[in-house]
Amino acid sequence: MNGWVGKILRVDLGEKRHGIEDLDEDLARAYLGGRGLATKYLYDEIDPEVDAFDPDNKLIVATGCLTGTGAIAACRTVFVAKSPLGTVGCANVGASFGCDLKYAGYDMIILEGKADEPLYLLIENDSIRFIPAQDLWGLDCYATDDLLRKKIGDPWKAKEYSIACIGPAGEKRSNLGAIVVDKHNTAARGGLGSVMGSKNLKALMVKGTKGIRVADRDGFITAVAEVLNHVKQSHGSMETFPQYGSSGILHIYNEVGMLATRNYQTGVFEHAGEISGEAMAQKHLRKIRACFSCPQSCGGIMKATDEKFMVTAERPEFETVWVFGADCGNSNTSAILKAHDLCNQYGMDVISVGNTIAMCMEMFEKGYLTEKEIGFPLKFGDPEAMVKLVELTGKREGFGDEVANGGYHLSHKYNHPELFVGVKKLEAPAYDPRVCQAQGLNQATGPRGACHNKGYTMGSEIFGLPSLGGKTDPYATAGKALLTKNIQDATCVFDNTGTCLFMILGLWAPELHKQLVPATGIDFTFEEMMKCGERTWTIERMFNIKAGLTAKDDNLSPRMLEEPMPEGPAKGHVNELPKMLPEYYQLRGWDSTGKPDDQKLNELGMEW
Amino acid sequence: MGTRKEIRIDIAKCTGCRHCETACSLKHSDEGMVNPKLSRIRVFTDFEREIAHPIISGPYTDAKCTSRYNIIMDGKEYESCLLCRASCPTRPFFTEPDTDIPLKCDLCGEPPDPHCVKVCVHGALTLVEVEEDQAASA
Repeated sequence: MNGWVGKILRVDLGEKRHGIEDLDEDLARAYLGGRGLATKYLYDEIDPEVDAFDPDNKLIVATGCLTGTGAIAACRTVFVAKSPLGTVGCANVGASFGCDLKYAGYDMIILEGKADEPLYLLIENDSIRFIPAQDLWGLDCYATDDLLRKKIGDPWKAKEYSIACIGPAGEKRSNLGAIVVDKHNTAARGGLGSVMGSKNLKALMVKGTKGIRVADRDGFITAVAEVLNHVKQSHGSMETFPQYGSSGILHIYNEVGMLATRNYQTGVFEHAGEISGEAMAQKHLRKIRACFSCPQSCGGIMKATDEKFMVTAERPEFETVWVFGADCGNSNTSAILKAHDLCNQYGMDVISVGNTIAMCMEMFEKGYLTEKEIGFPLKFGDPEAMVKLVELTGKREGFGDEVANGGYHLSHKYNHPELFVGVKKLEAPAYDPRVCQAQGLNQATGPRGACHNKGYTMGSEIFGLPSLGGKTDPYATAGKALLTKNIQDATCVFDNTGTCLFMILGLWAPELHKQLVPATGIDFTFEEMMKCGERTWTIERMFNIKAGLTAKDDNLSPRMLEEPMPEGPAKGHVNELPKMLPEYYQLRGWDSTGKPDDQKLNELGMEW
Repeated sequence: MGTRKEIRIDIAKCTGCRHCETACSLKHSDEGMVNPKLSRIRVFTDFEREIAHPIISGPYTDAKCTSRYNIIMDGKEYESCLLCRASCPTRPFFTEPDTDIPLKCDLCGEPPDPHCVKVCVHGALTLVEVEEDQAASA
């Protein structure tokens, strides 16, 4: 095969055995790879009702058909498993782990069972080793990465490896547990680090020297050059993201009044100017860093300036700056860096950690949580209390043990479920759907819950990108069902090819298609490629239906639907989800219970 | 006096994306293989020290240096190996992993058309024209 390397590594952790299988070519063609292909394997191989921490759950590590080929920003690795939140768990990550996995000769790893004692898996081309990890268990992600590289010895040779590991949060089965790659990139959402922890698997370490073959070398080189030229026309890709990171867009969302602030009590943050991408770059940025084969370079090195929060951290992403900034009512940028760094160190999902802490802040201010319960006062805008609670959450100590269960469970335990902002038990991101109506629809229907990265409708509703059909009125509901579906399906194609969705400002589905054909040598039409995306959304839906989810889970928090935005440009607005949902179901070919119908399945060549 | 083309490296502009590695390896592979391990340019990164440094392969040596030294740049100390472009047994660079055949940059042929430069969007790698050094070429 070309583009794909054509092999799957299947690992039985309990028996410490592995086998190598051929990748099913028909399935690869139907799903392209990554998220869709892994979900299809998961759907076929496990009972979706299985408990996430049951050894019968499987953790699949998959790459896209363009991952590692040098296609633009095609560096993504996806982790797929039943999530502890009850949905199909799916989280992808940058850096170069998936590229190295393909260079070692594997498109996917299927991790089965549970090891008797902690171990890590060392993959060097055909050599697969199960190595005891007693010395690593309990270490945070930074110490784990350092020690694993030290074991290689020579620092030059150690740099040839990619490492995906979990920290204490994943070991202790936190619902916020993430998988951290090479210290600074995180497959964060949905608690998959804890699924890895439940299997007693501390880390995956991979080095490959084999390479990936593309079908039409000269055609592929030309296609990549053309797509790169296309990206170069984008101010967002070439200026905003490299200079200010993804939080270069923060002030835009504040200006339109949808920067969720103080647990979504409002959409404007009075200190937005202090935490903007521009402000943070000026104050903290030392070096710009990119993931593998990405021209957009939204990573970087930042140094804190406040003595109380001294740290040198990876440049935080927009969501991180938002959640530890506006959402927690905090304007101390050094504290944002510190909280962010602690999440990477302990292996946690920043959005879920910050969103849950912000909810606790509101509960504290309203008297629903007391100082006695938390251990200290927890007011909005208190950076020290925020950072302290992040660390306690990483360690599952004190009140941090409650936060580690996530916002949904915490809000129910303390009898205020109405204050939890999320979908399908997953904490919501920065984008308040009381402004962008389609974003509300996207979050409500998201397979893993409230997630902007499964359908970035703001590309149309705020940015008016020509590639997405131009600008739509954010407050309008007409036409939003189709817009949402189209963006969600295209996003699946990004995730399946292994391309970073953050490239949205610089490229879109046609550019993926341009690279896909010469890489794989398969003459996909554009429509066929997009069907692979729709198939992905559908298989995730089928998994969730079998896992017990229903139409009633396609919902938003009451605050989004019933509490009008109190101030700012969006004053008075709510999300009008019920106006969009029936049409969306119809377009998706789902019946009123949310189940894909036979006609849609036939059209996509799928079956239950 | 003639001119020739060479690659200029501006390390401050390197983001460590390693796109140069995939581009180089694919250009030099008749089988259409993308494999950074076979690239004639490698990016050494050490982000904890804020470094991303492309290194373009040069001459072959069959033994490690007997005289190593360290360099202090901007107040920080680095091993000389960091900046060395030799194909050498002490580092996993610039040799074919299976055969140990050394790999050397050829500027992608004549006239020079280096593919690493083409994909370097932030200008860390540029192709520049320089005066031929008569003493060196004599």
